Amino acid sequence: MDRLDRLRGPVPPRPHDARAIAALAANPGCARRAVLDAAGVDKDATAAHLGYPAPFGQSPFAITRGNAFESLVKESGCAELLRLLRELLGLPIPLAAYTDLGDVGGNPSAQVRHSHTRKLLDKAARDSDDAGTLYDHPLLRLEIAGHSAYLEPDVVAFRLGGRFHIVEIKSFAVVDGQAEPDKVAAAARQAAVYVLALMNTLEELGHDPRRVSHEVVLVCPENFANRPAATLVDVRPQLAVLRRQLARMARVGAIVDELPPELTFDLAPDADGVPTRPVAELREAVRGVDARYAPDCLSTCDLCFFCRDEASAEGSTDLLGRQVRDALGGVATVTEALGLADGSLTPGEGQEEIARLLRLADRIYAEVG
Amino acid sequence: MSTLAALARLRAVHTGTAQRLATVRHCHLSERPMVFIPLRLAGEAAAPLAAMAGTDPGHPRLLVVPQPRDRDLRFAFAAELAEILLPYFEGLQKATETVERRGAEPYERCVDAPQVIVPGRGAVAFVQLLGRSTRFRRAEGPYAVHPSVPVLGRWLTFLAQRAQYPGSSLLLAATEALSLHWATGQSTLEDANLASLVGWIDPPPGMTGASAAREAEDPLVWPPAGPATDPGFDTEVLAPAIRAYEETRSDRAAARVAEAVRSQLEPTWRLMWRAIGLLGTLPAAPGAAARWEGDRTSFTGFAAQLAEGGPPQPKRDGAVGAASRLARMERAQASYDAQRAYDDPLVMAAYRLTGEAFTGTVVATEPDRTEGEGRGRKLRPLVTVRTTDPVRLAPGTRLGTPERRGQQAEVVAIDGEHVTLKIVKGMGRGMAATPGAVPEAGERVCYAALTDEFQPPASLPAPEETPWTHGGPPPEYSPADDEPEEEWS
Amino acid sequence: MLEISGTPGNCWYAPGVSETLDDLEERINALRREIRQAVRARESVLARSLRAELRSAERAWDQALAVHEPVYEPGDETGGEPGHGTAHGPGRESAHERGDRHEAPGSLVPVREQVHQALTLLGVPAAAKMIVAVHAALRAGSLKGAQLASLRRDEERSFRTSPFARPYYLCAALTDRLSASRGLLAVSTWPLEQRVVGPLSPRVDFLTTAIRVAEHIMRMVGAGEQAPPSAQRLLSRLAHNIPGAAPETGRYGRGAGLHLVDAGTARGGPEAGALVVDGFPGSDPATVVKAARAELEVHAAADTAARAEIAGRARDRLQDAERLFGGTVLGLARKEASR
Repeated sequence: MDRLDRLRGPVPPRPHDARAIAALAANPGCARRAVLDAAGVDKDATAAHLGYPAPFGQSPFAITRGNAFESLVKESGCAELLRLLRELLGLPIPLAAYTDLGDVGGNPSAQVRHSHTRKLLDKAARDSDDAGTLYDHPLLRLEIAGHSAYLEPDVVAFRLGGRFHIVEIKSFAVVDGQAEPDKVAAAARQAAVYVLALMNTLEELGHDPRRVSHEVVLVCPENFANRPAATLVDVRPQLAVLRRQLARMARVGAIVDELPPELTFDLAPDADGVPTRPVAELREAVRGVDARYAPDCLSTCDLCFFCRDEASAEGSTDLLGRQVRDALGGVATVTEALGLADGSLTPGEGQEEIARLLRLADRIYAEVG
Repeated sequence: MSTLAALARLRAVHTGTAQRLATVRHCHLSERPMVFIPLRLAGEAAAPLAAMAGTDPGHPRLLVVPQPRDRDLRFAFAAELAEILLPYFEGLQKATETVERRGAEPYERCVDAPQVIVPGRGAVAFVQLLGRSTRFRRAEGPYAVHPSVPVLGRWLTFLAQRAQYPGSSLLLAATEALSLHWATGQSTLEDANLASLVGWIDPPPGMTGASAAREAEDPLVWPPAGPATDPGFDTEVLAPAIRAYEETRSDRAAARVAEAVRSQLEPTWRLMWRAIGLLGTLPAAPGAAARWEGDRTSFTGFAAQLAEGGPPQPKRDGAVGAASRLARMERAQASYDAQRAYDDPLVMAAYRLTGEAFTGTVVATEPDRTEGEGRGRKLRPLVTVRTTDPVRLAPGTRLGTPERRGQQAEVVAIDGEHVTLKIVKGMGRGMAATPGAVPEAGERVCYAALTDEFQPPASLPAPEETPWTHGGPPPEYSPADDEPEEEWS
Repeated sequence: MLEISGTPGNCWYAPGVSETLDDLEERINALRREIRQAVRARESVLARSLRAELRSAERAWDQALAVHEPVYEPGDETGGEPGHGTAHGPGRESAHERGDRHEAPGSLVPVREQVHQALTLLGVPAAAKMIVAVHAALRAGSLKGAQLASLRRDEERSFRTSPFARPYYLCAALTDRLSASRGLLAVSTWPLEQRVVGPLSPRVDFLTTAIRVAEHIMRMVGAGEQAPPSAQRLLSRLAHNIPGAAPETGRYGRGAGLHLVDAGTARGGPEAGALVVDGFPGSDPATVVKAARAELEVHAAADTAARAEIAGRARDRLQDAERLFGGTVLGLARKEASR
């Protein structure tokens, strides 16, 4: 896979966190994103150097709140979490062991921590009595396009009745049993990444991956208090999408093989890390891989503004979103659609119906508008 | 999205300006709307950070919570907001009119109702959460709050619930009201940004809508309209200001927080009044006034309930309540859709595209045709319309017409471009048609398979007879002091 | 009529001479804008220098305001003039009151001594947050989390300079890998078994903490003292997570003592009429002790065995300093290899 290294340039690949991997599943049709992610390119830095800095950032208040809530759930050996699991899943009293897999002293490498995690999971999967119940900060690994990505270990796994569960702690509130659907969906997508990584780890160790539950325990503050509450969330649909997308990325080689051999997204950083790559050159390189822009990218991809501008320059109807594209029956550009509407363009094969509708819409619009 | 709306967006891309989606205004616009722009502290469910509110564009009131994690300051904010909103709500209850009803007691209805306009859907959700977090509070006992706080909570809850009712204008989201009337050259996702939406509709001189919208995406030029704040602002400006307040608790530090949030709210405040001005350029649709009457009835009813000391709205609807609410909403949606189509040829156009409606010219009529014998004899005129619209209606389908709202017709036959209709309702009792009741040859007419009739409500059991399969009768409501928030540790 | 907040004599910056409040605000706003632009463009060096500039401008603004700003009286309407923003809420106070507020009655006892007291009461390793909570609840002190941040490092330095010179050190708890456990503090005079952390130890230590806090409250009550509300609050929080310790089962049960929120509303939602201390039902110390002991019983044997095993290894392999402050992974690996 040194071809991918060449695409990235002489910098270490960007680590993938669960959020980034979950976002991969958001737009599986985008070759640009697939290639950049497979190569571990720093998309944020790339976008900034191109002059299209990513429009997101996280508020320090949100970060503080997230950390405060997580530490509340986890303090004193996950005392809050134990109560929740005892209430929700009937976790028996004797099962109260807590192992912090992140607490290994010093600052060892991801490999060391991962092998520590594997050793413990193996022991736990063999059901030895002293192998513990709660495992905090397990360092899991997922194969992404032939590369091992270590996942930021911000979850707890636990074992009950021979099955492993993932616990995802999120600080958005559940008010009267309802939470913002977007946030729940995002949490489910992220949890699915851990579930899959845990399944893969068990499989590698020769255990049955089905011993990982597809029901994730989501812990959120309840109502307006700081009090945690737990809910089970079935992440099977998210798992299916994720598996599909990872399989696609495993085949990213096919896309990469068709790229010109000299192509690279190297930012050529100087000693201070400041990119020196001529912007025009980088722009051409990025444009060398096709994007599939959709307005949803605006909340999930660092390169969104760049791709939006590109789509805009091409007059692509992708710009207007799925609903419009669907209403236009897949007509690709604004000019083409307007041409069909005013009759200046003869519909191609299969376009007769949408052309008829557009002409009618055009006529009615002129009549009453 | 209809092909027409999609085409309008394409044209907006092409011309660089927003395109009209309506010829008339489908929401009511109050003469004295209350603009309310809430900001929330990032990461918190319903911790108010600040708000700008008022009915006078020249004099916004700024409310600030210099430490949004401080519970007491939060409720002080709610009390202050109540000071602004409650007099507004109460003032509108003073003038009433008597409404006569056939077969029922006449009742009193307020001649006007409040209209709270917020920037977007996020703010509507925030109003709901703020209502939820305040309506169960008590003025005495532990964690006591100002007596106005629970009252405010109930009003906010009322408004947020009413906002879900199709066609209601008591609580309007500016972005949604504008999107109902204009199509931009961007996605609906991007339309949720008020500054960018207004940029498309009303770009500053010398700029296209497209470029104004792009500029509006820069949070430094146009701060987000809330309730979320710009993370960059949070990091660089707000966090240090709140920290300084936390350390000193001084007026000076509070003023610094106030100035910081004012800088984020003022541009949106101006934008909100521009949005209201834009909506005001459209003439009101007849249906908007009728729906506002419904809003006034609802407002009057809620005010009475409050005055009678009824309990705060429950946290969840019972099974029967939820089902009847759903049925009510569905009917309201159907009737709202029909009213808008009959009020507005541009809205009707979408139905013409799908063949549920058509416009054409009357080519022949039989105005004095009757059916039946003796006392059962009725006037049933025939009208034949020539249309080039792709009509997709089966014989027997009931149709309405914007030209004669009281009438209904039935499709008799469709033969190529000719549609023959029989007028079956609204002809009166006479055996000869009154002049003008039947369209004459040469007249442009429109007919649509949309009905805006009263339908009897679904028959549902009374709440206390809820079947056990649906959870049984809901427990009688008794107020509880819940979620006494603890401070963040 | 109007008080002037701040002391003009201390004012190092003379507003009006160079910049007015309005000018300053304009400059502050411009700087903030530039900073955010720089941050977005990832120009960190520029952002840093701009931030420094901003801070000095803000200081100047604060100073200028201190001279100009009248202290608001409640109900004082202040219009929309910039620089005289409307501050709200009960945070308003006069300059005199403000001066006192900041200097909370400080304890004369050094931080390490306060931490030692709290840990001694608990008898188990504890995280900074718990130490602060226990201290606040039982000693009415003013310990801050931040003060504990560097404590362990300072203690280690002191120990390494002159070992065992002090009667006790605040040291680490040891994980089963014999490294210092993240975030836990212990006392050097405790036997190793008390300072090591096996898989069940966090739970055992948590239950022990609850018992010690409850017993302390019982002692206070027995001596005719009133336990401070913060102690009750801490106990309730702990009891909340121990089966059978919180009044009734679940979260909203009813129990004895403490204020009853509303006796007349027993029927209704599950949240009605609960005894509440900061969102948690009030707890009876004796019940807490009983419940915690019951769960402790379940874990005791396994935990004791695990601790003995870890402590044995620690004695075997660690030097004095490492026994107190933890071995390094590398050092341990080397030792393992040489065995």
